[in-house]
Amino acid sequence: MFEYLPPLNDHNLPYPDTMHPIVVHFVIAMVLFSVLCDVIAYFTRNVRLYEVSWWNLCFATVSIFIAVIFGQVEAGLAEPYTAAETTLNLHTLIGWSLSGIIAAITGWRYILRSRDPKTLPAPFLGVGVLLVGLVFFQVYLGDLLVWVYGLHTVPVVEATREGILQ
Amino acid sequence: MNPDLIEQLQLGANDLPYQIPIHPNLVHLTLGLFIVSVGFDIVGVLFPLEKPVFKLLAIPATRSNFFDVGWYNMLAAAIITFFTVAAGFYEIMLAQPVAGVESAWGLKAMETMLWHGVGGVVLLLLIVAMTVWRGFQRFVWNRDRARQVQWAYLFAGLGIFAMMFVHGTLGAQLAAEFGVHISADRLLEMGQDPNSLLQPSLRGGQP
Repeated sequence: MFEYLPPLNDHNLPYPDTMHPIVVHFVIAMVLFSVLCDVIAYFTRNVRLYEVSWWNLCFATVSIFIAVIFGQVEAGLAEPYTAAETTLNLHTLIGWSLSGIIAAITGWRYILRSRDPKTLPAPFLGVGVLLVGLVFFQVYLGDLLVWVYGLHTVPVVEATREGILQ
Repeated sequence: MNPDLIEQLQLGANDLPYQIPIHPNLVHLTLGLFIVSVGFDIVGVLFPLEKPVFKLLAIPATRSNFFDVGWYNMLAAAIITFFTVAAGFYEIMLAQPVAGVESAWGLKAMETMLWHGVGGVVLLLLIVAMTVWRGFQRFVWNRDRARQVQWAYLFAGLGIFAMMFVHGTLGAQLAAEFGVHISADRLLEMGQDPNSLLQPSLRGGQP
């Protein structure tokens, strides 16, 4: 069966570079900016920023599902060595959870916006702040996988193929 | 950078005084905000075509709101990118890339670092210029028009996307091919075992 799959390069990928870290730009930046706009709008009553927040949140929701798909493909090809396994597992678990959480928050926001686009109840802001905390933690875990464990980097893939890293 | 000078700092295996590089995290913000800004301006310009789609999806949408996203996201991208470039220069000066290998694009480490450094400054300049241009369209030239942005601006944005792709790939190659600031890659280069040295318990029990 494996001969029908495309060959893997020196990053252990069927395409040139990792895609997941690129797609997550649009989750990280849009969630953080959405919450920032809500906070500014709440305290300055610049209601235009509520709309900016909503559209950014919408975009984040679409993006996170694409991010999870690429993340799952690349996690499957990562061949993590023992020290990296727990971090990859937790990053995967929180990643899937975040797709549900962000979609639910966007759904909630859709209802709030349909009722009155010019105000935002304080509990939504609170949830936004919690979401920022969770996103930061998830980014930290992803950073560990790339910048500490070097998954999908040429030296680590090479060492894994040579049996030095397992 | 001269290795003797770098030794004056107390650095970890990743050649940084902290665990995780800052620049790549700010890059998420620069690229996300810029690309989405231009994207929503395109959505705003093509709004007449999309109207039935938003109606079908039962999502209330007002044209001027898409231009608001275009403006505020671009403004935020311009502000954050000063920090992205500053963090990038700090970290590029401490970089110890693997020597003697070529990237997938046939460039050596030093060439890749120089192009990525120059490209970063050029991109900062372009992002700031786009923000100023966008500001003039929003507040001076087109303030009373339903369509706030010019085609030339959108095409300039698409051109910058292409430049960002090239620039970002160079940055990714510095990490994933030359091992810059990656603890595991640096340890392997020094002949040490990442598996025993990077266990979660040795990093303070963090996951």
